[in-house]
Formats: sequence, structure tokens, C-alpha cells
Amino acid sequence: MTSATTTASADLVATDVGLRYQVASRKAEVEALRGLSLTIRSGTFVTMVGPSGCGKTTFLKAVAELVSPTAGSITLGGRSLQETRDQRAMVFQDASLFPWFTVEKNAAYGLRMRGVNAREARARVRPVIEMVGLAGFEKAYPHELSGGMQQRVNLARALSVEPRLLLMDEPFAALDAQTREYMQAELMRIWNQSRVTVLFITHQIDEAVYLGDRVVVLSSRPGRVVADIPIELDRPRDLRVKRDKRFSEYEEQIWSLLEIRQAEAGSGGSA
Amino acid sequence: MTAAGQALDERAAAQEDGDDGRLGSGRSWERLVWGVIGIVSVLVVWDLLTRTGLVSDVLISSPGGVVRAARIEYESGILWSEIWATASVWLTGLALAAAVGIVVGLVSGASRIVGHVAEPWLRLLYSIPELALIPILIVWLGLGYTFRVVIVFLSSVFYIAINALAGVRAVENKYFEVAAVYHASPISTFRTVIIPGAFPYILTGLRQGASRALVGAVIAEFLAANNGIGFMITIAGSTLNTSRAMFGVALLGALGIISGELLRRIESRFDGWRVS
Repeated sequence: MTSATTTASADLVATDVGLRYQVASRKAEVEALRGLSLTIRSGTFVTMVGPSGCGKTTFLKAVAELVSPTAGSITLGGRSLQETRDQRAMVFQDASLFPWFTVEKNAAYGLRMRGVNAREARARVRPVIEMVGLAGFEKAYPHELSGGMQQRVNLARALSVEPRLLLMDEPFAALDAQTREYMQAELMRIWNQSRVTVLFITHQIDEAVYLGDRVVVLSSRPGRVVADIPIELDRPRDLRVKRDKRFSEYEEQIWSLLEIRQAEAGSGGSA
Repeated sequence: MTAAGQALDERAAAQEDGDDGRLGSGRSWERLVWGVIGIVSVLVVWDLLTRTGLVSDVLISSPGGVVRAARIEYESGILWSEIWATASVWLTGLALAAAVGIVVGLVSGASRIVGHVAEPWLRLLYSIPELALIPILIVWLGLGYTFRVVIVFLSSVFYIAINALAGVRAVENKYFEVAAVYHASPISTFRTVIIPGAFPYILTGLRQGASRALVGAVIAEFLAANNGIGFMITIAGSTLNTSRAMFGVALLGALGIISGELLRRIESRFDGWRVS
């Protein structure tokens, strides 16, 4: 596939990543990832799809250092994950906002944990809150916000640490269809302003095509990359692009890849 | 477990109250009226029974008798000092129990190893009726102020600790993941995730602990006091002054209701912290 990346501009490099873990309740070993290799160039938006349970979230968590790979390596800008801790941020599937903090304090959490004092953190978070469209809600509590607004705070919390790499774990999965579409467009608007490198996990193929510069397709477990499809649709994209003929062709292509994978998994003992 | 079960009930109750705004408030108004009618009618029947002489008011007193006893007690000028005698022991013991119980509960919840060591002890001590320790405590401490405070302390500390522990356990894992992703130090995690996450449970523990502590304070006064509401009831009982004894019981009820209601109001302010 076309993955014209030069190491000079490469940001995230995953090489032959494997991950096995013990399931305590069943005394069984699960192999979540095997030989997963992936390179993401700086400033690109990469989306990742795969059959459910294929280990895409596990891979994201490995990049976030929430789990450790049992094989292979992951580097960011040529340096280890430990060395680049403060260059990554994550947007969680469930907004995971602290109910006891206001919008402002939730958004400032990453900065505060890096030792930025309260006043400076507040000053730095203001423009980010504005960028995600929540100006005026600084003092609101999460339970006063809709699901879409909570995800905006989740995004603001990640963006305010000015990460080099932004990890997004199905952040719109729990939203209703209309809000999801709207948030996708909003994410595009925000990303056009920040141009941060993004790895975005989703199980929605249209979402993957709409957002991504590339769509990475994973196999069913143990997950590895089976296709890496560059999406050559002009940016900035608005939601009308979803009615473009090329858009549906990309969707078709990914669908068929996933179907083949599912079928292989169903017929037993492949991969 | 009691603490968790109760918390669930309360969450459900809070949702019920919040859901149907107007209907709900109409119902709570209705509830108040019927509650008052229920209490008043029992008092009226009680009064009538004693007035008609069907039952002896020496044995069970009467609402009028209790009011007269209240007036005598008030006019004697020692009513407030009796109430204060009970309240000071109660609040001192409860404050100590809160300080110890909250710290023990939070640390047991936050540190896996401390938790493994402390939890069996907490569960054991939680299930022992503390009042069974009274004979030993008398040997150790004698009958005095310290004895009473220790009884109050023991009556409530394990409730408070177990609830705080349950509170930490109830903090959803996703919040710890957020702390981990943003590299919060263990102390920061304790401060920003564990304490606020467990807070609603801590308040529930304090409320339950407070009522248990009041029972402890009164029992201690039955045995080892020369003042306080419990002492007043003992004396009134042994001199067949049932009206005075009933008034003492009513006073305890009032203390229990006031403290419970106060803490419940504080708790309800933190309902938003329970929902995710």
C-alpha cells in the first residue's frame, strides 16, 4: 500500500508490536496484538478501524502507556514512550470528566499535573475552551452538560497540554447519530486550527473515512495492519463530502476488507 | 454490604426526586401532610386512652404529661446542661471516629497492601457489637468521661471507615486512567481522584455513624454518668416518672433527627459527584 513516509518526518513509529495478557478468570492467555507495525507522519490524522475486539483500543492504550507491549517497540519522534510522556494526550471513549471539577478545572487537569500553577493553567485553558466552543461554560459541572459538550471538554483537556500526538479512543461512539456527525465536523474545524498528529480509533467506517488522511484497517485478534488506505479527499472537508462518490468507494473498499477478515476469523484458525 | 446498598438506594431516591419536577414536589407536599396526620392521630389516641383511664398514665405517661415534664425540665434551668452533657460526649467521640475512620478507610482503599491487611480487621470489628466490650472497657478505663467517649468512638468508627473504604472502591477505573494518562503522582491521584470520589460515601458513613454514636452515648450514660439525657432517663425510670423518661427519649429523637437531616442536606449537595 502507499505509505510514503520518510523517517525524518515520522512521528509515531510502531514496530512489530505484540501484546499478550493473562485473563485471570479463565486462566487463558489472550493475544491482543501480533506484529503490528505502523508509522504516522507528523501532522497527519490517522484513523484505525477493525472488527470489534481486534485490539485497536489495546494498541491505543499501549501508545498511552496504560498497558505494555510484550513484543516490538513504539517510539515517538525517535524517542521512547517514557521519554515522551508529556508529548501525548488522550481523549477517552467515555468522557471521563471528574464530576467534582468544573469544566475549567477538568480542562486544566493535564497542565496542573505537570506542575503548572492554577492561575497560569486557567489562562492557558481559556483559549482552548473557546476553540472547542465552550466559552461561557467554564464554571459549569460535567453533569450539567450534554454528552457532546462533555466530549468537547474531554478534547479540551487533551489539547490544552499541547500534545505532539493526540490519541482518540472512539470518542463519539456513545453519542446519538446527529450529535456524532456534528462533532465530527467540529473536530475537523478544531483540528484545522491545531494540526496535531492524531491517532483516532473508531468502529464507524464513515467516520474513519471522513476524518482520516489515512485509514488503517486491523485484522481480527491478534490485531495487525492488513491495509493502510490513503484518503485523497480535499481538505478542509465538510459533511457534504460524505455524499461524494469517492467517499462511498472508500467505504466499500474498507467494508469488503473487514468482511473478508470477519469471514476468515469465522472459518476458524487464520491470521 | 450495607454501605453500598444504602448508597444505591439513595441514588435511586435522588433520581426519583429529580425526574418529575412538579409531580415530585406535589407528592412530597402530600407526604408531609399525611405524615403529620399520622403522628398527630397517634398522639390524640394516646391522650384519649389515658384521659378515659383505659390505661394508666403512670405506666405509659401521656402527651400532656410529656409536655408538662418538658416544662418542668426547662424551668429547672438544667435542661441545656443535660443536653450539652450528652452532645459534648457524642460530638467528641464522633469527631475522633471521623478523623480515624476516614483516614483508615481512605488509606486502606488507596493502598492495595494496606487494604489487604486492614480489611479483614475492619470487617471483623464492624461485625462485633461494640457494646459487648463494655465490661472490659470498664476494667480498662473506669466509669467516666473517657469511658463514654470511647464507647461513642467504637460505636461509629468502623461504620465510617468501612464506608470510606467502599467509597474508594466505588471510584470508577476510568478516573484512574485519566490520572495515569496525565501522569498524576500518587499524591495528586489521592487528592484529585480518591478523596473527592469517595466523598459522598464518607458523608453517608458519617450520617450512619452519627446515629450509632448517639446510641453509644446514651448507653454509656445509662452505665456511667451523673448527667446527660441518658442519666436523666435512668433516674426518671427508677422513680417511676415515666413522663420525664419519655421526654428524655423525645429529646434523643430530636437530636437524631436534626443531625441526620443536617448531614443528609450536606450529602444531597454532592449528588452530582455520584453520577458520572
